[in-house]
This record gives sequence, structure tokens and C-alpha cells, in this order.
Amino acid sequence: MNKYILNIVYGLGALIVISALAFKIFQPIQVLPRMQLAPAFLLVDQDNRPLTSEDLRGQFVIYSFTYTNCPAPCYNINDTVKEIQSRLGEVELNNIPVTFVTLSIDPERDTAEVLNAYAQTLGADTTRWKFATTTNQTLLKTVIGVGLETYYEKKEDGSFAFDPAFVLVDGLGIVRAEYRYATEVSNTDRILRHLGVLADEVKNSTGTNKLAYEAAHLFLCYAP
Amino acid sequence: MTTQKMHIDPYERNWMIFSAIMLVLFATAVSVAAFGMGIQVPAPEQRVDPRTVATDPNSPWSNPGLREIATGKYDAYVLARAIPNWEYLPKEMTVPAGSSVSFYVTSSDVQHGFKIQDTNANFMVIPGQVSKLTIKFDKPGTYNFICTEYCGSGHGVMYGAIIVTP
Repeated sequence: MNKYILNIVYGLGALIVISALAFKIFQPIQVLPRMQLAPAFLLVDQDNRPLTSEDLRGQFVIYSFTYTNCPAPCYNINDTVKEIQSRLGEVELNNIPVTFVTLSIDPERDTAEVLNAYAQTLGADTTRWKFATTTNQTLLKTVIGVGLETYYEKKEDGSFAFDPAFVLVDGLGIVRAEYRYATEVSNTDRILRHLGVLADEVKNSTGTNKLAYEAAHLFLCYAP
Repeated sequence: MTTQKMHIDPYERNWMIFSAIMLVLFATAVSVAAFGMGIQVPAPEQRVDPRTVATDPNSPWSNPGLREIATGKYDAYVLARAIPNWEYLPKEMTVPAGSSVSFYVTSSDVQHGFKIQDTNANFMVIPGQVSKLTIKFDKPGTYNFICTEYCGSGHGVMYGAIIVTP
């Protein structure tokens, strides 16, 4: 009798190991990594109103960085934002809004008025595409450099060297993806796909399924 | 049903027990390192096009080197290449002690390695992939980095250094 029990115990052990391997190899659930907490901030938006990190909870936020004097095409940052906005219908977002926040790295010249004019030139709907900055240079450097891990530095001639990155933050304020290289033409497709993955997780990660999603995080089943 | 006791030589049995204990110890060590001490595995960060990564002016590797993203926090864009003469760009980087440096390493030709001596940074550099790892340098000194994947006849001269100033 002992032998049967022992076989069952071994069988169960093997089953657990095999299913864990299968879960990792076939990746039935894919997620985005939880990279770090997004920074908390109080900035000023294009309408001269305060914009805080708390205002942006409960929605997907895509941060981008630029300055209004950046010579065109300026890494195609704004074109990418426009393309993503126009193609949002292609992904199942379950009514979770997607907000774009463009942070200006040049607060000396980019006042609220300048940003407002810039938004109008771009034809941006400022409820879903906000422009913000702060004259507190230390805060700006902390938010962008430490919080969103993006490089920018003023050059001698008044222009800026910076990483034309996109940073995707989820509704809980956790950084879920960074798209660092504007040279990648596939950025738009990748961001749209990732928004779908995030929305799926929000929708399905409840009850028992939550454990499966946590397992996907544990086994690093990250969406490409 | 009768159970028959299998005869195992004590010497063999001891070694079996020993190897089982080793397995458990290793599994525990890996789990503690991953979850308790937060040791990161260098994962591929993003894909890039190896044909243009070093020449495209919009690519950070067209101008590789250190960038200070905040006080004491650096990004290091490092390009490993076998053409023309097996080298890392940049060959030398200087940071003050206590800095945390995120290395973004990619290759413009073949597969290379990137190991920083006296740290736990050691990863593959694959063309088309960006490998990222963050290291905090607390002790001043010179940390050499070398290529650990055989990449051609100049493999042995492929090295560089991170100089940590007090």
C-alpha cells in the first residue's frame, strides 16, 4: 500500500514541476514587468493649472519628453503620440482611458502659454494629451531623472541632449514599460500591444486568475 | 502485499543523502538570492537593429558613454564591437563612489560578453538585443570589464575600465 501512496506523491511532484515548466515555456499568460514606482509630482500644465501624479491614477499614462524649441522632426515624438492616439481603437482597453503627458525639459522658455500654443499647433486634445513642466529645476530633474529614469541635459547652445523615451505607467502608478529608443520604428505597435496586455491584466486578474497572473510575474512571462 | 526492503550500501546511501541535501541547499540559495536579496538577472531590455545601432544619429549608441540622469545616477551606453578592432565604446568611464550605473550594452556585429570584475555583472551582449543591468559602485578603485564570449581573434584584447573616484 505504501508503494502506491509513494507513487502518487512522486507523480504529484512531477506534475507540479512539469506544469511549472510548461507555464514558463508556453506562456499562456503574458504580463508587463512591475519596474518601479512612478514618481509623485506636482507640475503645472498647459492651462497653468496644477497637474499631480494623483490626477493620473486609474488610467494608463504614457510620458514623453521634449522641449518646444526642439528642431523638427525632433525624433518624431509627437507624431508617434498622434499615431498611437489615432490607433487606440485597435486595442481592447475595457474603457480604461489612456492619457499622454509630455513633460517639457526646458521650463525657462516653455511657460504655460508657450505649451498651450504648442498644444494647439499640434492639434492636441488636452483632456487626453497634457503638457506640463515646473520651474523648480531640482524637482524636474528628480521626476524625470530619478523617477522616470530618463536622461536630459542642457547643452551650451541652449538646446538639449535627451533620450526621446516613452514611459508607460499603469493605473496604480507603477512603471510597466520604457521605450527608450526613438529609432525603433516598431514603437507604436509595441506600445499598442502592451496597452492591450495591461488592460487584459486589469480585467482578468481577479479571484483565482489573480494567482495565475502572479505566477506569470514570478516566471517573468513578459510580453515581447 | 509484502514490501521488500531494498539493500543499499551505506557508502552509497550517504552520498545519496548528501546530494539530496545539496539540491535543497542550492534551491534555497537561488530563492533567497532572487526574492530576499533582490539579485537581478540581466534580461534583454529591448530590440534594436544591429545594422544601424552604431550609426543612426538618433540612437544613443551613436554617441556611447556615460550620462548623468540625476545626482549619483548614471546611464552608461556601451557598444561592443569586433569590427574594426575588438573594442568597447567607451573604453573608460569615470564615476564618483556611491554612484549607481545602469549599463545598456549592445553589439553592432557578433555576440560578445560583458563582465565587470569585482561585481556580479556578467552578461551576454547579443546583436539586436539590449542588455541592461544596474550596479552600485560603493568602493573607489578601477573595475575592469572584459569580454567573456569568444568573439574572434581579438577577443583577448577586448576590455575597458570603470574608474570609481573617492
